[in-house]
This record gives sequence, structure tokens and C-alpha cells, in this order.
Amino acid sequence: MTALAPELAQQDLETLVAQVWSTYVLDEGPLPAPPASWTSATPCWSSAVSVTGAWHGMIAVDLAQDAAVALTRAMLAMEDDEEPAAEDLVDAVGEVANMVGGNVKALVPGPSGLSLPVVGQSPLAAPSDLAPSLCLDLTWNGHPLRVRVLTGAGSSAGSAVEPSTAPRQEMLP
Amino acid sequence: MHALIIDDSRAMRAILRRIVAPVGWQTTEAANGREALDHMEAGLVPDVCMIDWNMPVMDGYQFVCEVRKRPEWRDVTLMMVTTEGEHSQIVRALAAGAHEYVIKPFPPEAILDKLSLLGFQSQEVSA
Repeated sequence: MTALAPELAQQDLETLVAQVWSTYVLDEGPLPAPPASWTSATPCWSSAVSVTGAWHGMIAVDLAQDAAVALTRAMLAMEDDEEPAAEDLVDAVGEVANMVGGNVKALVPGPSGLSLPVVGQSPLAAPSDLAPSLCLDLTWNGHPLRVRVLTGAGSSAGSAVEPSTAPRQEMLP
Repeated sequence: MHALIIDDSRAMRAILRRIVAPVGWQTTEAANGREALDHMEAGLVPDVCMIDWNMPVMDGYQFVCEVRKRPEWRDVTLMMVTTEGEHSQIVRALAAGAHEYVIKPFPPEAILDKLSLLGFQSQEVSA
């Protein structure tokens, strides 16, 4: 298994997520939360990107439904009572995973490639060659969100999330 | 001044548009490099292209290479706006002809500062 770069720690993930929120949502961002805040029954949106090359892994962002809707409204400058379309949610949630994943990629050994994000409406499962390395449980406006980093064998292994030439609006079932 | 915003994320295109439009920029949007080239081949000559790296169909690096092959577009300023923060990728993009590189997430002033550094010193941009 590829070890996480010593530079990448829970604190790095917290900082990255806080940067995304402070930049695009303009608030203080998610706060650490106990893992119990996330349950398998939580309706959610999930997006993941894979990194392949000198470091091989997957970075996933799982957002409770209400958090995903609020994030989408903020990123698309929608009104509070405006209901985002599914394609808007796919776009915004995918972009958050892209930003967090891209910045994780910059912290681990390179060179490596970054996949386009894939998005689903349940926590995206990792391929069997990847194992959880970091899991960051947060809460934002009372809604849980989780950032997961999974790592696997070296660059010879397949991509965790297949790079695609399809637009990100392609959503997993 | 005209900015061509190239990103497969509609949310990110909207964020960039909200940064530059209030300070006097006209904007055109494209969801990938191919779409952006289509706009330019149809006659749009933007002052600045803001270019994501990872996109379907044609990525940002390929777009930069394509633009730099065309002498008629030599005055177009190319600014990468991407999550790709690996040093080797930054060097690669700049070597291919990009002028500036902004890593997401970025504060709005980072974009305006870069535009100012690139010589877009109009009152609107520097305001």
C-alpha cells in the first residue's frame, strides 16, 4: 500500500475544506464533528476524484442533502428559496471534490494525474485495491459532511475513478 | 475587455463571471477547450482566456497548445485557473504558452490582481 505522504494530515484536509468554503460559500466553513453525525441513512450527494501515478488514491466528499443544496446555492448565487436542479448539484458537488482532490494531489508525491469527478447520490464506494487512510467528519450549518482519502497500490494499478472524457454531469446511478 | 471563461463546471464559470463582470469585463463561457476554440474560430478574440486544466473533450493544456499554434491569436493572454497545483504541471503550462497560473480555491482579489499584473490596468480592473 502506498503510504500517505507525511505532509498530508487531518489538519491539511481541514484547511483545504475551510479554504473552499471561505472562498465560495463565504462563511467560516465546516467544523469538526464526531463520526456519529454521519449515518448510512443520511441522504447525501457524494463526489470523488482519483489520483494515479506516483501516488494512487481516491478523494471523496460526501455531503448531506441539505448541505449539498446550500453549497450549490452559494456557488451558483441562487436565492435561498430557489431549488437547484440535479445537474446543478452534480456540478457544484463535483467541483468541490475536484478542488479538494486537486489540492491533496499537490501534497502527495508526484507526478500523477487527476481524474474528472464522478458524482452519486450515496457515498461512493472505493475499488477493492484502495483502503481508507483519512476520514474527516465535519458539520456545516447542522448538516454532516465527510471527506475521505483512500490509498492503494502504486501507479501500475488501475484508476480508482476511471478518468472519463464524459462531462461531469454524467452521474453514477 | 473580453474574457473567455473555460471550465467544465458551470458553478466555477459563474464564480469567475461574478468576479470580473462587475469590473467591466464582458464574458463568454465554454465548457471545454474544444468549445472555446469553436468560439475563437467563429471570430471571438478575447483579451484573456481563463482556463481550467481538467476538462472533458479537450483539456486546458491542449487548448493552450492549440492557441499558441495560431499566430493570429498570439496577443491573447492565457491564464490557467485550476486545481492542478503540482510544480511540474505549472511549469508545463507556462512552457506551453500560458502567462499566469491561479490555483483553486482562490479569493476573488487573486484573479483581479493577476489581471492587473498582466497589464489590464484599466480603471475597471484596478478598482
